[in-house]
Amino acid sequence: MSAPRQTITLRNDLAEITRLAEFVDAFCEPLEPTPKDVLSLHLALEEIVTNVINHGYADGQPHMFTVELAAAGRRVTVIVIDDAPAYDPLARAEVDITLPLEDRPIGGLGVHLVKKLMDSAHYERRDGRNILTLVRTLGAAT
Amino acid sequence: MDITESKINSATVLALSGRLDGLTSPTLEKKVDALLAAGTRQLVFDCGQLLYASSAGLRVFLASAKKLKSAGGQAAFAALTSPVHEVFELSGFTGVFKVESTAAAAAAAIA
Repeated sequence: MSAPRQTITLRNDLAEITRLAEFVDAFCEPLEPTPKDVLSLHLALEEIVTNVINHGYADGQPHMFTVELAAAGRRVTVIVIDDAPAYDPLARAEVDITLPLEDRPIGGLGVHLVKKLMDSAHYERRDGRNILTLVRTLGAAT
Repeated sequence: MDITESKINSATVLALSGRLDGLTSPTLEKKVDALLAAGTRQLVFDCGQLLYASSAGLRVFLASAKKLKSAGGQAAFAALTSPVHEVFELSGFTGVFKVESTAAAAAAAIA
């Protein structure tokens, strides 16, 4: 069993997405996740982290932020902490996925996926930081 | 992600392989914009080797389909892998797009 809690520090650079994906894989591997668990964690984390990288920091300067993964039994908790200006990605209006092509907005799908794929998603602003907590209980180990 | 371009009759086929994410999706968007500018109106995304598509990738698919439609064209999708099918389902894409099992069938669907 790996350490039940690991943290990675990321730069605000899209190239970090690859390193993030490897971090998620390495953390999950001992937990024997299902392919859907792995996909769900990748999708949700990429969405949140891409938001932070693309929209979090407007000053064009390098910034660092952290992603923490923790496991308690089959329950995986993801915590993304950044010191960018206050922004709650979960507050975005829900997208209507039944609209025809011409009426569908281009954006908003990422947060939609996060909400669909995670058991819970919670945002708080504390001590000048954005703290986003996601929880997913993994499927039964085979 | 790698993109391989080919033709089936009048349709242009883009075979995608690897990961379509926040890092790689701008490459696909540029490719599609160049094809549109060059007159492509029937476009098939062959996803048989596409292992992952994040919301950034979905955004490019949606934007491409909208641009094609407003130009009088159409997009179709072929051979979705299981992770890509999963995000298509969750995003309602299977309801708005033509999704076929092969590139040839997808090309025929928008011919």
